[in-house]
Amino acid sequence: MSALELVRLALSRLRTARVRAALTMLGVIIGVASVVALVSVGKGTTSQITSRLNSLGTNLLTVNATGRNGTATTLTLDDAKAIAQIDTVAAVAPEVETQAVVAVGRTTTTTSVIGTSAQYAQVRAYDVWQGTFLTDTSLEQSSRVVVLGATVADDLGLDASAVGTTVTIGGLPFEVIGILQPKGGSGFQDPDNEVLVPIATIQKYFVGSSQVRTIGVSVGNASDIEATRNAITELLRVRHGITATASDDFSIFDQAQLLDTAASISGTLTLLLAGIASISLLVGGIGIMNIMLVSVRERTREIGIRKAVGARARDILSQFLIEALTLSLLGGLVGNAIGLVASSLIGRIAGWGFIFDPTTIALATVFSLIVGVVFGVWPARQAARLDPIAALRYE
Amino acid sequence: MSLLELTAVTRTYDMGHVQVHALRGVSISINAGEFVAIVGPSGSGKSTMMGILGCLDRPTSGSYALDGTVVTALGDDSLARIRSRTIGFVFQSYNLIPRTSALDNVATPLLYQGVGRRERHARAVAALERLGLGDRLGHEPTELSGGEQQRVAIARAIVTDPAVVLADEPTGNLATHQGLEVLDLFKGLNATGRTIVLITHDPRVAAFAEREVRLLDGQVDTELAA
Repeated sequence: MSALELVRLALSRLRTARVRAALTMLGVIIGVASVVALVSVGKGTTSQITSRLNSLGTNLLTVNATGRNGTATTLTLDDAKAIAQIDTVAAVAPEVETQAVVAVGRTTTTTSVIGTSAQYAQVRAYDVWQGTFLTDTSLEQSSRVVVLGATVADDLGLDASAVGTTVTIGGLPFEVIGILQPKGGSGFQDPDNEVLVPIATIQKYFVGSSQVRTIGVSVGNASDIEATRNAITELLRVRHGITATASDDFSIFDQAQLLDTAASISGTLTLLLAGIASISLLVGGIGIMNIMLVSVRERTREIGIRKAVGARARDILSQFLIEALTLSLLGGLVGNAIGLVASSLIGRIAGWGFIFDPTTIALATVFSLIVGVVFGVWPARQAARLDPIAALRYE
Repeated sequence: MSLLELTAVTRTYDMGHVQVHALRGVSISINAGEFVAIVGPSGSGKSTMMGILGCLDRPTSGSYALDGTVVTALGDDSLARIRSRTIGFVFQSYNLIPRTSALDNVATPLLYQGVGRRERHARAVAALERLGLGDRLGHEPTELSGGEQQRVAIARAIVTDPAVVLADEPTGNLATHQGLEVLDLFKGLNATGRTIVLITHDPRVAAFAEREVRLLDGQVDTELAA
């Protein structure tokens, strides 16, 4: 008997027991659909984390002061300048931050005022939407100029025409020289809710010392991040006169590494979810086996008749195996379709769009076929082994 | 020459503690082209003997040679091949495949011979028409009367054009006139050289045969020439 004949036989049989076939397939359908949907959710989360990772700044290291020297923090502008001398460092932006009220006329908003340098845009990956960014000249002159974050500009009701106008920060007038492109929220903190002024300006008018809270460092090459981190540690320990046994008075934070970790956690979670979903596929397979065993029982006479008119054991074996395979494969295909629809819906709601992953589809389909073989073989063997005369007498 | 030859065949069923001796040493020889009736009361071993003749069952001891080949020594696949190529079996209880059309039922033996779909279809239609069931091709067993089911079963037995037709009470469920038609059909098959063996307990049916073999308690009682 050819494979085609067997498939035809299996299909005609499934047609006569449609409801049963559909219910049997349901287990596999749910299993495959959840594997496909969950894997795509996992991939979506991971890709979202990756895109945020890039929006934070390329190869970003953040040096934070942890020790105190009287009232001032231990990091200084000179530290920033020294770090800039390290070969692997591409850009350095010292940061001093304070909270202040920013106002235009009667409209006010409270936001972070960050004093920094011209390289801040490069270090933190900001683009200017209108006007210009802070310039070296404005830094040297401690000019009262400000670059507005997108959220702040929005809150104050300012648009492109605001460049060149004046806003007040903590009561002092500042000239708006630029407005930043929005980066979009990254959950816990809105990167667009800040205004940037020259670091000398903030030190002169707001914090009143040369202290630096944070130094943002952009490393030229991703592979140099670890070496740069060590070089900065060494440099700062020497500059701060820290003896060999004493601990650092600063910490270096590698945000990319943190998010890498987050991405790998989400990858592990994806695997875990897919694993749980495969359990339902397994249960679906057991459902197929159960139905096939019942079917062998019910059709004992039919098997006897087929053997009596010339079927060999292997004909019966293939017939039942193909039936189980048809159930599992059809279930797999329907499951794939439902899984794809579900993942495109979830993708649309969560905002990462539709992620089509052919590997998952292929794996889920192959897995459902394997389920069919594994759980179909035993009932099929039971059927094939039946003694014809005993099978014919079976009531 | 003898086509079917049983030599000292016994068949014992092991029913737990009890052993049932269905056949106790049967030796018969049936020649090619013969029309033989096997008669005897119920429990005399007729159906058991038919199962062995049809290669559905194996003797406990003794040997069975079909066309010179000792089939008792053959494996399951070889027996399946003989059932497929040489023997047509008509069961007392029809044994049609449920939820399957008359046409597909009759075509099934051809399926296992590896005959292509179109030819299968044509030959099954021809066999059914020969039994006057040309208008019942798409009917499933439950949609057919007892007599129609019996005729479908006969069509299935003859569709492969087998050398031997074994029939277990083929007229048992038929009205007298239908029974006669079936017997005429067997006569006709016999006339074209087929060997016919049929089981019956009806002397009028047995009278159609050239030879009558009487079984009693698992042994051949007397052998009469018709």
